[in-house]
Amino acid sequence: MSARSLLVGPFNRVEGDLEIRLEIEDGHVRAAYANSPLFRGFEPMLQGKPPLDALTLTPRICGICSISQSAAAAQALCSVAGGAPAPEGALAAAILHAVENLCDHITHFNLFFCADFARPAYAARSWHPRATERFTAMKGSAVRACIEARAQLLHIVGLLGGKWPHTLAIQPGGVTRAPTLRDKARMASTLTAFRRYLESTVFGAPLEAFDALETVEALRGWTTGDAGLFLQISDDLGLQRMGPGPERYLSFGAYPLADGRSFGPGVWADGQLEPVDSATIREDLSHAWMLGDAAHPSAGRTVPDEDMADPAYSWCKAPRLAGRTVETGALARQVVDAHPLARAIIAGGSNVEARVIGRLLEIARTQLLLEAWVAQLKPEAVFMQPVDLPRNGTGEGLVEAARGALGHWVRLKDGVIDSYQIIAPTTWNFSPRDANGTPGPVEAALEGAFVPEAEDTPLSVQHIVRSFDPCMVCTVH
Amino acid sequence: MSEIETFYDVMRRQGITRRSFMKYCSLTASALGLGPAFVPQIAHAMETKPRTPVIWVHGLECTCCSESFIRSAHPLAKDVVLSMISLDYDDTLMAAAGHAAEAAMMDTIEKYKGQYILAVEGNPPLNEDGMFCISGGKPFVEKLKMAAKDAKAVISWGACASYGCVQAAKPNPTQATPVHKVITDKPIIKVPGCPPIAEVMTGVITYMLTFDRMPELDRQGRPAMFYGQRIHDKCYRRAHFDAGQFVEEWDDEGARKGYCLYKMGCKGPTTYNACSTVRWNEGVSFPIQSGHGCIGCSEDGFWDQGTFYDRVTSLAQFGVEGNADSVGMAAAGVVGTGIAAHAAVSALKSAQAKAQSKPSTEEV
Repeated sequence: MSARSLLVGPFNRVEGDLEIRLEIEDGHVRAAYANSPLFRGFEPMLQGKPPLDALTLTPRICGICSISQSAAAAQALCSVAGGAPAPEGALAAAILHAVENLCDHITHFNLFFCADFARPAYAARSWHPRATERFTAMKGSAVRACIEARAQLLHIVGLLGGKWPHTLAIQPGGVTRAPTLRDKARMASTLTAFRRYLESTVFGAPLEAFDALETVEALRGWTTGDAGLFLQISDDLGLQRMGPGPERYLSFGAYPLADGRSFGPGVWADGQLEPVDSATIREDLSHAWMLGDAAHPSAGRTVPDEDMADPAYSWCKAPRLAGRTVETGALARQVVDAHPLARAIIAGGSNVEARVIGRLLEIARTQLLLEAWVAQLKPEAVFMQPVDLPRNGTGEGLVEAARGALGHWVRLKDGVIDSYQIIAPTTWNFSPRDANGTPGPVEAALEGAFVPEAEDTPLSVQHIVRSFDPCMVCTVH
Repeated sequence: MSEIETFYDVMRRQGITRRSFMKYCSLTASALGLGPAFVPQIAHAMETKPRTPVIWVHGLECTCCSESFIRSAHPLAKDVVLSMISLDYDDTLMAAAGHAAEAAMMDTIEKYKGQYILAVEGNPPLNEDGMFCISGGKPFVEKLKMAAKDAKAVISWGACASYGCVQAAKPNPTQATPVHKVITDKPIIKVPGCPPIAEVMTGVITYMLTFDRMPELDRQGRPAMFYGQRIHDKCYRRAHFDAGQFVEEWDDEGARKGYCLYKMGCKGPTTYNACSTVRWNEGVSFPIQSGHGCIGCSEDGFWDQGTFYDRVTSLAQFGVEGNADSVGMAAAGVVGTGIAAHAAVSALKSAQAKAQSKPSTEEV
């Protein structure tokens, strides 16, 4: 019987700062505590500001998912006014947003997740030389190809949004730039080039073939591209048996267009798809360094506890949906959207491998969506409708960032922001314990993870934590 | 010093050919506004000088600066600069994790005492003894001070490190504080913007690595070569400003025609940055080109200047003409007079032609 406590962190190759305290017994994690050690206070600083300032300030919560924040802010303000964006503007906004999500997914796969396979600890594995050649941080051939392809793809955001990160183009009523026919042609050619990158490098086969996979057996038969290499590694390391999730999957639904959301909204639990009832969300503060009671974000407050009193251990609040933890992200989105492969790989519960496959699946599907959307764009259409903000009112903006469900809740009073609350995807996934002592999804996923005596930076912990693609700057904001 | 490789050694080791190396030198020269005569000088410096180590740390921020940086226009310039930095220490991109990473930073500081450049992304929050940003179990402000102590110079990346940026917005809950208010005994170069343009970042760092000195700075401590002009000075919509042609509301006829965004709150006239010349995402565009005004993100305090959609009212250059409306009116008046005069001249000529022509011809 041996017991020890281990502090893992700071995690590198993670957006923002993260520390995880592990209690280890007999070589396995008994309990985990996720701490987000960075607090900036966006919510209090938005109070008293003109409503439209949210469009500029909230994207700056995060340098990698700034368009998601921008889309959520625009939607929240639009819902205060009770209006809707111009349909063609919504389409342009969806293109901007999908490009960012796509970029985040390939960055996560190549730069953040697979880099761990190049570690010397795996030197004895048969796949190690190839993994090292492909994924070594900053040097691997896949890493370089990814950075290059991503920069090219972001030309689309350049064209429609002026710059990335921190694009300003998305507004409550649509977008600021009506794309021209020339823009449309350039976007189409950029997408052709990106498809070539995906098919030659990531999948090693047509995207449609990956999208058409329906069963675990079919997936295991995939051998081409870096996806094939990942599956080989995953099989060898047993990643499909690591990091179980709460088996409840939340998606607000991605890309709101005039005819609905392209990836549908819902909660998948116990083999059932239920609609999302955002009114049942509560943010629990019992283990966060925050003062106040559990509340729905429309009534929530953000008052940091300067004493950082026990038993709290993180700046992160603990959001719960109808009192329960949920997992959110690309996998959840694809499960909720009823993709057969996504449903198949979580038949025994979610895991490290399933989260990575969920992301790869979404990469393929998002590229297909983008190609269709760009072909549909009508340059002569109206891209922005006037939205008159009332001086008083409340609004809710629910979108899907790369890492999962993102919500903004705003209340206007006398023409300025009276309250602004944000729940980011990583707030759900990396939440601390709630008043019942129920750990957040990542904390629970780490329980039982194998930690050999000699490891101070346990590899299993790295894989599990990174499979959720944490974005810590969004988590606490 | 002798144990440190030269820049050229590093590049060769990264598999960069001599030809590419020379190309890089000429690109650098042009990016920095230097003539072709400087190319051999840059090449010589890179072949003979020991490379300057860089430590890159992150405080209270959103990592947008790193994100911008790894997307710089020329893959070669990015590879070269990135490979030089990668040898040392960077939080976001490096391979090592946890305590090994912290140890790597201490090693770099120890090994290159007084020789390395400290690049800071983000800033330290000082409230509650810095507890709002904890890195490696210690407040970031301590890590910053420790890393700065033996640095040759400090680069403040972005609006966060330079000025505080949005997290310093009223009421500045964490007392986010720009780097120069915490580190007071080192030369500091500010590269503001939210984020700064990738090419500006690579340009600044290449200049410092190549010439082993700071570029010329303006009075605010920004490199004059990139922050010497206002967005407005080189804006492609400037002609519409001068002609008094403005976008009046989103997606109106003026917006489609690319008129000036001044009335939509554009801060281009008061913002010093290279957006309108260098542009973003590999020269594709910049915010004004996307139909949204500039928010002035490279200027101190841009986050607390009232709404981003109010027009700038304190413009010095408007002293002469009043404001945009009267500029517009005046310009329209001039154009109108011009057209009238032109029309009068045409009529006169027509009359003369008629007088001189035979009655049988029908000239107009």
